[in-house]
Amino acid sequence: MPMSLAFERQLVLVAVGLLLIATVVPLAGFMLGRNVYRPTAGLYAGVVALLGAAITGRWLREGQGPFLTLYDILLSNLFSLTLVFLLISIFATAVRAGIVVTSPLLLVLGVWLTGVSELSVPLPGAFDNAWLWVHVLSGKVFLGFCLVAAATAIIMLTSAAGSSDRSSRLTPSPERSEQAIWALFFVALICHSVMLVAGAVWAHSAWGHFWSWDPLETWTLVTWLMLAGALHARATFRNMPHSLGHVMVLATFAVAFLTFFGVPFFSIAPHKGLM
Amino acid sequence: MIMLLKKLASLRLTLVGMALLALLAVVGSRNAEIGAGITAVPLVILVVNLLAALLTNKSIRTQTGLLVFHVGLLLVFACIGLTVLLRYDGHVEVVQGGAFDAGMVETVEQGWWHHNRLEAIELYQGEVRVNYLPGLNRQDTASTFEYRASSGELRRITVGDTRAATIDGYRVAATFNKGFAVLLHWTGTDGTEILGAVHMPSFPEFDWKQLTAWTTPAGQQVELELKFDESVSDDRGAWSFGRTDMPYSVNVSLAGKSQRSLRRGESVELAGGVVRVVELRTWMAYQIDYTPLLPWMLVAALLAIVGLAMHFASRYLPASVTASSKEDGYAHVARV
Repeated sequence: MPMSLAFERQLVLVAVGLLLIATVVPLAGFMLGRNVYRPTAGLYAGVVALLGAAITGRWLREGQGPFLTLYDILLSNLFSLTLVFLLISIFATAVRAGIVVTSPLLLVLGVWLTGVSELSVPLPGAFDNAWLWVHVLSGKVFLGFCLVAAATAIIMLTSAAGSSDRSSRLTPSPERSEQAIWALFFVALICHSVMLVAGAVWAHSAWGHFWSWDPLETWTLVTWLMLAGALHARATFRNMPHSLGHVMVLATFAVAFLTFFGVPFFSIAPHKGLM
Repeated sequence: MIMLLKKLASLRLTLVGMALLALLAVVGSRNAEIGAGITAVPLVILVVNLLAALLTNKSIRTQTGLLVFHVGLLLVFACIGLTVLLRYDGHVEVVQGGAFDAGMVETVEQGWWHHNRLEAIELYQGEVRVNYLPGLNRQDTASTFEYRASSGELRRITVGDTRAATIDGYRVAATFNKGFAVLLHWTGTDGTEILGAVHMPSFPEFDWKQLTAWTTPAGQQVELELKFDESVSDDRGAWSFGRTDMPYSVNVSLAGKSQRSLRRGESVELAGGVVRVVELRTWMAYQIDYTPLLPWMLVAALLAIVGLAMHFASRYLPASVTASSKEDGYAHVARV
C-alpha cells in the first residue's frame, strides 16, 4: 500500500522539527563552550532517515522521481544536502564546526518546503533519459560539497574576525580546515563539470540543443567559472589572504544556491515539458 | 616570440577572460540585441591564453592531471568553434501522408562552413501519437515515418522524446509542436487540379483558435477555421493527440464573413475555382540539426573531467599530500 500524502507531510514536518533542534543545539553548544557535533549529527541522521522515507514513499506513490516541481526539488535537495554534510563530517573532523552554519540554512529550506504545494506533476517524456540521472545526482553532490566548503569558510571568517575563545574554539585546526575547504571545493568543481556535461547531453537529446543560453544554463556556467576562477586565483596569487579565498567560496555557493532554487522557478523556458 | 607567448599565457589573463566570459554570458543571454555571440570575445582570449600556457607553462606540462585537463578543455573549445562553423539548425512541418520538402525548412542557424544537403533527405510522414495526462501534461510522443537510408533502403522509424533519426548526417527529432491539417482539393475554372494540405495552428496550444489564412491557387485570400463537433483535448482527463476520425467541419470565410461550413467531401465555389474538403490529417514539426562533432565534444569534456580528478588525487589524497609536503612547505594548505 503506497504511503499517503498526509503521512508524507507528517514525515517532512518531523524532519523540519529535527532541523529546528539541530539549529538550536549547536548555537547553545557554542555559547556554553561545548562540542555538540555528535548529538547534532544524530539529529541529521534522523532528518536523512525521515526525508529518505518521504521521498521513497512519494516515488512509489507517484511512480516518478523528484525531478520537476519546486516541492520535489526542495525535498530531494534537503535530503541530499543533509546527507552529504553528515557523510563528509563523519570522515573530516575539520568541517564539523560548519554544522552551526548548515543547520539554519537547511531549516530555511525545510520551512520553505512546508509552504509549497506537494501536488505532483507528471514528468514530460523528455525526462525519461539516463543522462538525467547523472545530471541530477552530480548536481546534488556538487551543491552538497559546495555547502560544506562554504560553511567551513564562514566558520574560518568568523574565527578570523573574532578574538574570543569561543571563536577560536570553532576552528581548533585552521590549517586542516583551510585544506578541507579547497579540497571540497575541488570536488565540487569536478561534480559541477559532470553535471554540466550530462545536462548538455540530456538537453540535446530532449530539446535538440546542447546549449541554449537559457537562464539556468547561463547561471550554471557562471557558477562553473566562479568555481574554476576561485581555484585558479588561489594558484595564481600565492600570497592571497585566506579570507579573500573564503569570500570567493561563499560567493560561489551563493550563486549556486540561487541558480538551484531561484532561476528554474522564475524562468519560463527550461527544464519544463512544453505543451 | 617566447616573451610574447609568456605574456599571453599569463594566469592573470585567464582570470580576466573568465570574469569577462561570466559577465558577457549574463549580459548577452539577457539581451537579445547583444546576443550570446558576444561571448566569442572572451572565449577567443581564453583559447589563446590556454594555448600559450600549454606551450610555455612548465607547471601545467609537468603535472599530468593539469595537462590532461587543459588539453581536454582546449579540445572542447576546438569542438565548439568547429561546431559553430559547421552546424545547421532548422524546423519543418510535415503532414501525415506527405513527404519532407527541403524548401519548407525554416533555417534557424547555419554555420559558414555548412554544406546544405537537406535536398537529399527523403522522408514520408506516418502516424503521430502524443499522450496527455490531466492538466494537458504532455507525456510520450511517437511520430512514425519512413526515410531513405544511405544504403538506399526505405526504413520505418518511430521517433519521440528520447529517440531521433539520423538521415544523411542530419538529426531529425520530433518537437512538442504538432497539429491538424485539412487536406483540400482545388479544381480551377481553367481545369487545374491541386491537392494540398493547410496546416492549422499548433494543437492543443491553440485548440481554442484553429484558424488560419489561406490563399487559393487563384490568389483569393480566405480564412479557414477547423471546428470539432466535440472537444478533442481534455484538460481534466487523459487523452491522445493523433486521431483524425472525429466529426469536424471547416468554416470558409471571406473578409471575416462566414461563407460556408464544410463537412468532409463537401465543397464551396470561390473566385477562380472550387475547393473541396478531402479529409483531416495531422502534421508534425521536426527539428533538424547537424552537429557532427558533438560526440567528440563529449569525449573532450570527459577527458577534461578525468584530468581534474587526476589533479585532485595528486594534490589532495593523503599519500600525495604527504609526499608533496616534503617538496615544499606549502603542502599543508595543498595549493592547487
